[in-house]
Amino acid sequence: MENAKVKEFFTSLKRAACEAGRSVADFFKKVFQNKKAATGFCILMLFVLMAIFGPLIFPYDPTVDYENRYAPFSWQHIFGTDNLGRDVFRQLVAGSGSVLTIALLTGVFTVFIGVFLGILSGYAGGVVDKVIQGVTNIVLTIPSFPVMLVLAAIFTIEDPFTFALVLSAWSWAGLCRAVRAQVMSLRERDFIQICKVMKMSRTHIIVKELMPNIASYILINFIMTMRSAITGSVGIMMLGLAAYDPTNWGSMLSNAQAQGLVNPKVIPVLLVPLVTIIIFQAGAILFSNGLDEILNPRLRIG
Amino acid sequence: MENVIEIRNVTIDYKLKRYDIRAITDVSLDIKRGKITALVGESGSGKTTLSSAILQCISTPGEVTAGSIKFFGKDGSETDVCACNNHQINKFRWEKVSMVFQAAQSALNPVMTVFEQFEETVREHRMGWDKKRIEERTKEVLEDVKLDADRVMKAYPHELSGGMKQRVMIAFALIFEPELIILDEPTTALDVITQDYIFKILQRINREKGISMLLMTHDIGVVAKFADYVGVMYAGRLMEYGDIRTVFKQRRHPYTAGLIGSTPSLIGSLDDMKPIEGNPPDLRDLPKGCVFSPRCPYRTDKCTEKEPEDYIKDGCLLKCTRYGE
Amino acid sequence: MEKENITAKDRIKSVLTKVWKAIVGFLYKYRYFWKKLGIAVLTLAFSTIVIFFIIRLIPGDIVREYALSLASSRNIPYDEAYRLAVSLLNYDPEESIFLQFFRYVGGLFRGELGVSLYNEDITANLLIKQRLPWTLFISSVSLLISFLLGTWLGSLMARKRNGAADTAISSYIVVSGSIPDYLMGLLLVLIFAYTWKIFPSQGNYDAFYSEPGWNFKFFYDVLRHAFLPVAAYVFVQTGTWTLMMRGSSIGVLGEDYISAAKARGLSERTITRKYLKRNAMLPLVTSLAVSFAALFGGSPLMESIFNYPGIGLELSARIGLKDYFVVQGIMFFTSSMVILVNLITDSIYSLIDPRVRKE
Repeated sequence: MENAKVKEFFTSLKRAACEAGRSVADFFKKVFQNKKAATGFCILMLFVLMAIFGPLIFPYDPTVDYENRYAPFSWQHIFGTDNLGRDVFRQLVAGSGSVLTIALLTGVFTVFIGVFLGILSGYAGGVVDKVIQGVTNIVLTIPSFPVMLVLAAIFTIEDPFTFALVLSAWSWAGLCRAVRAQVMSLRERDFIQICKVMKMSRTHIIVKELMPNIASYILINFIMTMRSAITGSVGIMMLGLAAYDPTNWGSMLSNAQAQGLVNPKVIPVLLVPLVTIIIFQAGAILFSNGLDEILNPRLRIG
Repeated sequence: MENVIEIRNVTIDYKLKRYDIRAITDVSLDIKRGKITALVGESGSGKTTLSSAILQCISTPGEVTAGSIKFFGKDGSETDVCACNNHQINKFRWEKVSMVFQAAQSALNPVMTVFEQFEETVREHRMGWDKKRIEERTKEVLEDVKLDADRVMKAYPHELSGGMKQRVMIAFALIFEPELIILDEPTTALDVITQDYIFKILQRINREKGISMLLMTHDIGVVAKFADYVGVMYAGRLMEYGDIRTVFKQRRHPYTAGLIGSTPSLIGSLDDMKPIEGNPPDLRDLPKGCVFSPRCPYRTDKCTEKEPEDYIKDGCLLKCTRYGE
Repeated sequence: MEKENITAKDRIKSVLTKVWKAIVGFLYKYRYFWKKLGIAVLTLAFSTIVIFFIIRLIPGDIVREYALSLASSRNIPYDEAYRLAVSLLNYDPEESIFLQFFRYVGGLFRGELGVSLYNEDITANLLIKQRLPWTLFISSVSLLISFLLGTWLGSLMARKRNGAADTAISSYIVVSGSIPDYLMGLLLVLIFAYTWKIFPSQGNYDAFYSEPGWNFKFFYDVLRHAFLPVAAYVFVQTGTWTLMMRGSSIGVLGEDYISAAKARGLSERTITRKYLKRNAMLPLVTSLAVSFAALFGGSPLMESIFNYPGIGLELSARIGLKDYFVVQGIMFFTSSMVILVNLITDSIYSLIDPRVRKE
C-alpha cells in the first residue's frame, strides 16, 4: 500500500514535470514568434553568457601598466586601456558578473516583498490591509534615492547581496500597491467567487487561481526591477558610496569621470561601460515589452 | 414609393495584415421613405457593418470595395455617399442621416455634460446659431423623448440611468430633423418595459415627423411589432427582403423560417421552438454554394454547387435556389 | 421684562443651534476631505519617525570621527581634538536618542527643520531656500515640456497606428527608456560641452559673466546653463509619458463615444482635442502630480553630473558628511511636499473628472 502511494506520488510528479516542461517550451515558442521579445531575450542571454563564461575566456589582469595608458582599440585590447593601462574590455567582462548578480538579487528581493505584501494586503483586507497600505504609503512618501544613500552608509556595501538589499529595501512599494489593486479586482471576479462558494482553501485560491493571473504582470515587473536596479547601483557607485568592486560598470564610469572629461583620451574609456549599460537596458525593455504583448493579448490589436 | 437610401451591390472588406475578411457580399437594399425598415440576423451577420457604411464610418480596416450607396433627399437632391470627401461627409452625417448606437450607455463623452455635447455638435453643423437657439432646440428634442430637459441638460452621462441615456441618444439623433435615423440595437441593455416605452417613442416620431428609420436588431418580436419592411441577413448576405407581412406570414426562405421558429413566443409552447442546427459560418472559410446550405433542412445538390441569385417574388427579394424560375 | 429675557435666551439658543448645525454640516460636507487629511497627517507623522531613526542607524561615532579629522588637520593630540570637537559640534553625545527626537519634533513645530552639526549658521531651512529653487527650476521645466510633448506624441501614435510615425516613435521610446537620465546627461556634456563647447558643462550660472538679478544677461546665462540638464531630462522622460499616453489613448479610441462623435460629423480636430485627449489625459494627471511631488527631492545624480547646486546634490553631500540634523530636515521637507501635493491632487481631481464628483 505504501508502495502504491509512492508510485502515485512519482507519477503525479512526472506529470507535473511534463506539464511544466511543455508550458516552458510553449512559452519560448511564443517568445521567438515575437520580434521584440526575441531580440530582448537574445541580448539578455548574451550578457548572461558573458557573465558566466567571459571571465574564463578573457581573464582580467588588474596590474597597473603605465606604458600602455589609454591604448586605442586594437586586437590586443579590444576596447583599449584605461588611465592605469588596464584592459577595458576585460574589466567589462569581469564586472558583468557582479552587475548581473546585483540586478538579479534586487529583482528577486523586490518582487518577493512587493508581491507577498500585495497579495496579503489585497486578499486579507481589514486591519492587515490597512497596516500594509499605511507602511506602503510611508515608503512611497519618503524619497527613495536619499534613503538608498543612507542605507548604503548604514550597511557599508561590500558584496552584491548587501547591495541588492539596499536597492530593494525602498523600491517594493509601487509593486505592492499595483499587485494589491490587481488582487482586489480579481477577487471580485466570478471565478474566484465560485471558488469561495465551493469552499476551496485559501492557499488553493491564491496559488492556483490568483497567481497564474498575475504571473505575467510579476514577470514583467521583475525584468523592469532588474533594469532599474542597474540604474540605481551604477548611480550609487558613481556617487562613490559603494566603491567595493573596481570592475563593476558603475565604478568604471565613476573612475573614468574622475579622470576629467576634458581629456579626449578618457572618452572611449567612459563610453564603453556607458554603451554597455544602455544595451543591457534596451534588451530588458524589449524583452519586457515583447512579453507584455505576448502575455496580454488585449494589447495586441492591429 | 420613393426610396431614401439605395444600396446597390455593396461589398465591404476588412483588410487585415494576413488576410481580408468579406463582411458584406453584394448586398442591394432600398430603404423606403417614411417607413421603418428592420434588418435582422445573428451577431456577426453584417448588420452593423452595413449600417455604418451608410454613414461612412466603418471601423478602421474596413472599406467599401464595390457597389454604391446613394441618398435621395426630400428636396430631390442625390448624394453618392461613397464618393464624398471628408468635408462633405461630415456635413452629410447627422444632418441627413443620424444614428442611435448599439452601446448608448457609453456613446456619450463622460467628461462633458449632455448640453455641452449637443452644443458642440450643433456648432459644427450650424455656424449661425447662437447659444439661446441651441438651448431651445435641445430642450425641444429632449422633451420629444419625454425627458425632463432642464435636469438632463446639465447632467453628466454617469448621472443618468440606462433608459435615460438611450432617450438622450434618440433626442441627439433628432436634433437636425434628419431624413433617416439608423437604430443599431437601440435597446439591448434595457429591461423589457423600458424597451417597449422607447419603441413607442420611436414609432411616434416616425409617424409624426415622417422620419425614416433603419432598425438593426435580433429581436424578432420587436420587428414584428414595429417594422414595415424587413431584411434578413446571414453571413454578410441579404437572404430575404420584403414587407413585413409577406415575409413573416409566408416564411418562404428557410433561414427566415428558422429564425422565426427559434423565437420563443408567449402563446405557443416551448416545444414548438426549434433552434437552427449548427453555427453561423466562419467568414474566412465559407461553405461552397449557398452559405446557409450546411444548416438548411431543404438542402439539395443544387444548393452546394452554386450560390443562388437574388430572385424577386411578389415584390420580395429571396436568395434561395428553391425560388429560382 | 421676564418675557423679553426668555425671548433673548431663545434667540441666543437658536443662533447657537444654527451655528452648531452649520459646523456639523460643514464637517459632514467635506467628510472625505477630512478623512484624507487625517491619513495625510498620520503618514507624515510616521514618515518623520522613520526618517529620524533610519538616519540614526548610520554606524560610527560622529564626534570621534570629527575629532580624528580635527586632530590630523590641526596637528593636535586626540584628547584635545575630542574636546574641541564636542565644543565645535552642534551635538551633545550624552543626550539620549529620545530626547533628541523630541527636540527635533519641537523644532519642526516652530518651523525649524534642523541646524548643521558643523556650522550653526547652516540650517536645513537655509539650504532648502538656496538650493530648492534651482532644482525646481530645471526639473519642473523639464517635466512640463516632456509631459506636453509626450501626450502629444502618445495620442499621435495611437491615432496613426502602424504608420511610419508610430515606428519612429516606438524606437525612440525604447532608446529613451534604455538610458538612465544621468547617463544621458553625461553623454550630452560629453558632446555639447567638451567636444563642441557650445554649452557650459556645469553650474547654474557663471559668476564671472553675469550678476544675479533681474537682467537679461543673467537670464540668458541661467538658461544656457540649464539647457543641457533640461535636455537630458526631457529626452528621457518624454518616452515614459508618450508610452503612458499611447496606452491610455488606445483605450479611449476604442470607446463608443469616439465612434459616436465621428458619426455626428464632428471634425477630426474636435474629436482629438475634446474627446480623445481630454479623456486619455485623465489617468495621467495623477502620475503628473506624483512626478511633480518627487521633484522636491531633487535628483542627486543629475545634479552631480552637472555640478548643479540643487537640493539633491546638497542632500547626498550631507548624507556623506553624516550631518544628521540637516539630512532629516531636508528629507522631512521632501516627504511633506509629497504628501501635500498628493492631498491637493486627490482633492481637486473631481474638478477635472466629473465621474468621481461627490455631492
